[in-house]
Amino acid sequence: MAEGELPMATSTNNNRPKILILGTLSGGYRGADSVGQEHLEYPPNTYILPVMSAAIFPETFYMRAFERGFDGIIVMFSGTDCPYKGAPERTAEIINKTYELMKERKLDLNRLRLAAICTVCVRPFIEEVHKMEQLLDEIGKLPHPLPP
Amino acid sequence: MPEQSDKSNPPEKELGLAPDPSPEEEPRIGVYVCNCGGNIGDVVNCKQVAEALRNIPNVVTSHSNMFMCSDPGQKLITDDIKEKGINRVVIGACSIFLHEQTFRQAVERAGLNPYLYYHVGLREQDSWVHYNHPEDATEKAIRLMLAGVAKARKMEPLEPVRLQAEKHALVIGGGVAGLRTALDIARSGLKVTLVEKSHFLGGRVAQWERVFPTGETARTLLQRLLEQVQAEPDITIHTGAKVVKTKGYVGNFQIHIRQQPRGIKADFDAVDQAIAACPVEIPDEFNYGLKTRKAIYQPYSGCYPAGPVVDWEHCTHCEKCLEFSHNHDINLDDTPIEFDINVGAVAVATGFRPYEPFPGEMGYGKFPEVITLPQLERLLAADGPTGGKLEWNGRSVRSLAMIHCVGSRQVDDVHQPQPDGQVNNYCSRVCCTATLNAANIIHERLPETRIYDVYTDIRTYGRGHEDYYTLASKNGVTFLRYFVEDIPEVYPAEKGSYYSMLVKVKDQLTWGEEIELPVDLVVLAVGMMPNPVDDLIGLFNITPGNDRFLLEVHPKLSPVETSVVGIVLAGTAQGPMNIQESCTAAAAAASKVVVLLGRGQVEMEPYVAQIDIERCQGNGDCVRVCPQEDAIKLETFSKNGTSFQRAVVTPANCNGCGVCVSTCSHRAIDVLGWRLDDYEAMVDAITAEIPVLEGVPA
Amino acid sequence: MKSDKIHVDTLVVGGGIAGMQASLDLANQGHQVALVEHSPSIGGMMIGLSKVFPTLDCCSCITTPKMAATAHHENIQLLTYCEVQSVTRNDDGFSVQVIQKPRYVIEDNCTGCRSCELVCPLDLPDVENEFGRTAHRVIYVPFTTAVPQKAIIDIDSCIFCGKCIKACPADCIDFTQTPQTLRVEARTIILATGFKVTPYDAKKEYGAGNLRNVIDAMMMERLLAPTGPYGRVLRPSDGKLPDSIAYVQCAGSRDETLGVPYCSRVCCMYAIKQAMLISGALPMADVTIYYMDIRTFGKGYEQFYQNAKAMGIEFVKGKVGRIVEDEDQNPIVRVELIDDNSRVAENKHDLVVLSVGMLPGYDTQPIYDVATAKDGFVQIPDSNVAPTVTTQEGIFATGTATGPMDIVDSIITAGAVAAEASAYMHLHSGSPAAPAAD
Repeated sequence: MAEGELPMATSTNNNRPKILILGTLSGGYRGADSVGQEHLEYPPNTYILPVMSAAIFPETFYMRAFERGFDGIIVMFSGTDCPYKGAPERTAEIINKTYELMKERKLDLNRLRLAAICTVCVRPFIEEVHKMEQLLDEIGKLPHPLPP
Repeated sequence: MPEQSDKSNPPEKELGLAPDPSPEEEPRIGVYVCNCGGNIGDVVNCKQVAEALRNIPNVVTSHSNMFMCSDPGQKLITDDIKEKGINRVVIGACSIFLHEQTFRQAVERAGLNPYLYYHVGLREQDSWVHYNHPEDATEKAIRLMLAGVAKARKMEPLEPVRLQAEKHALVIGGGVAGLRTALDIARSGLKVTLVEKSHFLGGRVAQWERVFPTGETARTLLQRLLEQVQAEPDITIHTGAKVVKTKGYVGNFQIHIRQQPRGIKADFDAVDQAIAACPVEIPDEFNYGLKTRKAIYQPYSGCYPAGPVVDWEHCTHCEKCLEFSHNHDINLDDTPIEFDINVGAVAVATGFRPYEPFPGEMGYGKFPEVITLPQLERLLAADGPTGGKLEWNGRSVRSLAMIHCVGSRQVDDVHQPQPDGQVNNYCSRVCCTATLNAANIIHERLPETRIYDVYTDIRTYGRGHEDYYTLASKNGVTFLRYFVEDIPEVYPAEKGSYYSMLVKVKDQLTWGEEIELPVDLVVLAVGMMPNPVDDLIGLFNITPGNDRFLLEVHPKLSPVETSVVGIVLAGTAQGPMNIQESCTAAAAAASKVVVLLGRGQVEMEPYVAQIDIERCQGNGDCVRVCPQEDAIKLETFSKNGTSFQRAVVTPANCNGCGVCVSTCSHRAIDVLGWRLDDYEAMVDAITAEIPVLEGVPA
Repeated sequence: MKSDKIHVDTLVVGGGIAGMQASLDLANQGHQVALVEHSPSIGGMMIGLSKVFPTLDCCSCITTPKMAATAHHENIQLLTYCEVQSVTRNDDGFSVQVIQKPRYVIEDNCTGCRSCELVCPLDLPDVENEFGRTAHRVIYVPFTTAVPQKAIIDIDSCIFCGKCIKACPADCIDFTQTPQTLRVEARTIILATGFKVTPYDAKKEYGAGNLRNVIDAMMMERLLAPTGPYGRVLRPSDGKLPDSIAYVQCAGSRDETLGVPYCSRVCCMYAIKQAMLISGALPMADVTIYYMDIRTFGKGYEQFYQNAKAMGIEFVKGKVGRIVEDEDQNPIVRVELIDDNSRVAENKHDLVVLSVGMLPGYDTQPIYDVATAKDGFVQIPDSNVAPTVTTQEGIFATGTATGPMDIVDSIITAGAVAAEASAYMHLHSGSPAAPAAD
């Protein structure tokens, strides 16, 4: 198809929930590339940011992302295959602390998920995205601004 | 983590005033959207993306282009840097793993720091996964590019960490691929240590009889290679040795090796008597279990290193062999030795093992008349269990069937999966020509023997391979073709039949007719599986693919490199290959090692922790959580007469894991290139309202 | 400015993917390399392809960065539009005479701005790149992603109107250029002289090139390429979108009557790849592949084949005996269906693609005295252990010069030849090769 024939994005600022995916370069981000290489489909309201290690993000980062407009967050790290010793444990610890903060703000804890996705974990990647998508279909977007 | 003790505290340093942050250069961002020859542009409206990015703060120019990675595409960037004063570059293109380096180099050529470049993956993570939703894919591209620009505003110039590199490589595996790799690295002037887990070099090739396409015996070939390796003074060989621990990174891997003793001195002169005296009998793996061997053994005469060894796993310490031992020639109390070496790079040449059919698969393990192709090779070999005679029940084999694709090209629900739940859905590449080669050898020796070749596709693809197919046809080999849904059945003939086995084939060459082949022997052309290397996968953090073979970064861009810099793949550890292909891949791997280490220095990404000394309060949380050794510590500083502690990072020991970043309650630490602020800005950019887009030329 | 005498460690002959990769691997080891290419651009056969198996990466995305890296490498000198005339052995290696063919454009000054193309009044069919299906000007940059981006004049067609001279901002048109002789002193030579495809008009049973809707796979590559002549797949006779496309495998390989008894290795995979790309571009079209054996032997290739079957591409085991056409120029394939009682069928398609094979691109015997085997490719005496060593000491071969192979294998043999040449130079000097460019 020639470029001129392509539809333009028209429905900007659409009302679909937004999913943030933090994908590690040795795990989820590469896994997402593998999904692409197999030309499999998943919903487009997903925004994958590459991270070296998810252990850099403190609890406040996740809360801030919810406040700014993300409705679901999936942290796709490499789990036990992580090249950084100690980082996956630290990430899991932070996610658990974030759950505490989410409880205080009465957020559904399923809005934040930690998933071990390897570089060729094509099916698990798709499943994770669909799970979050389904959840957001059920419980809807977060209110804006987020109640304190 | 070692506690900080007083005595290890370094002398106090005077803390000067922090240098003024350099007057910040106003970011002038160039944005480029690659069409990728339709790969992106057929789904994402690249022009619209470029247009949407044009009028946002700091963006000076925004284009879309058919191939950003081509020379003219790169020139677009370098020209903009030079002419429009662009000082940050954001490109939306294919995966960062393919072309991030390409564009960094382009940016660098134009005089910009290469880390002032940000790559957004719009192909694998957008157009290739949202092709049924082009509008949404375009919106996603716009938002991801906006995030890229948000990041670009905050990017800072970085310098790679430069480290001395050992001009010394480790090769793991002593088969043809390992030998070839070692030879090629050494011949280019580097030192090589080769470790082989068995006590002998030569790997699988030593077990083969005559090889295609040269027609020479495998032993002659191996001998030639071994002589060259032995003549190379820069190669150190450790057999019976395994890598058990590793540390470090490209240029400086510390490798801990454990070597099993041989138990017998090389000049021991009563080998035959000692072997005869040993009461242990176990299946001989060198002959694929077709005969037995003792717990003192050598795989074949002429093996290298020469002389027998003790099989520690099976030795019962009965000491019967010691009767023939003088001067402690045999030492049953020998213990493993352990030592460390430092190398700059590692070549993994751990090879393959033949597919082992499941018990009962096509009669294997149930009827002795069913053997594998590697076993047939041993039967054909002059030093094999039958001295090269192809006999069954005391007479020459009169008729045999060779069945292709056993353990290769398998299909879910038809074949039994391996323990990991996967079937071997790949082609093993070598079996077709190897089978025809064996068929031709049998015909040469036993012209009267009837040979049936039962195949799905004959894949004699290599140079000279087709000749083996043609010759087999001329030799009167009968070809039958089966489909995977009708796997041939192997069962015994009625008692007293002239031939003891029957192979039932639904033959597609004769219109799907069911044909029963009466035979003495059934040969299963088994495929290849990687040698199990879970230990190395764990030690080096390398990755296997879905087929369990080790994975290269990209089949064309980095065909022998793993995702860990400094670890390369050689030969069948990576996938099925014949000897020629293994040697080729091995030489290519050697080439990459020489490129890496030849200069004695390697560069590493500058992604290490950095302390903001103004924000650091010296409470030491980061030091306590750091999982690395000596990567971060507290040092005592003084300013205006008061002394206090601040964290200090040793970049060479920091791997950028970021554990310290999330721990610091003062936000005084970041991993360079991956700052928390960057991510917050990217989150804001993605979730921001986008103005409605109009007036984009179609 | 090219000096007329060049000292290098290695002369690489051929600027296709194998030659480029070998040059890069040697240059990255610190060796000085001169790369000779007879065309005006490097990139070889690969740059003309659409997407490549098994990853379906856009081919340009793999090739063009390597072209750029080769051109920009400080240790590589590019000698495009040059041909090796003679090679003599001397004490240090080889003395090689190279002819620089005239571009009629001063290479060092041309910026590739293409102002000349805009004013040139004459169009010529683009035979080199597009089988005559598009046109280029008499003065032209060979193709969009060419390296170097330098114009060239087809002097035989030029009417010397002088418009390009007026238009050229760099003042680099020079009708008086003549062939120049360069001398390259090299310690080793790498032959990466590549392949050509078996002629698609060779077989009279398949219409001998006279059937308009029977094309070969290289032409199909261009139809599928985003940079191709129409930007879509159209059949040649009437520009119709084809609904039914057939591939005839081994149409130039494994065929004694054509003198090509060997398997060309790549045709199964490229046919499957093209079939998949066609299915993407023309979702309603039926694609049939007539084959003898499907040889998808490489890493990930069998899985690629199984994916194609799952996509609905039809694989028919059968020997195509003859192709004729009906009154609407629809090709009719007469095939013996081996899977169907050897019934002979006559199947009408809109477009037939011949899966042509590979022939050696160049005879290395006359100039290099490098022996070729009976298949015409460079002879490799110890092909198992030393797969890049030729019959001439100090001369090595790589890529399809040594027999049919795909891109992945070409790139790997290029790495191997670099190791071999580097080791040879190390052995014959006792020290790392000294940088020696004049």
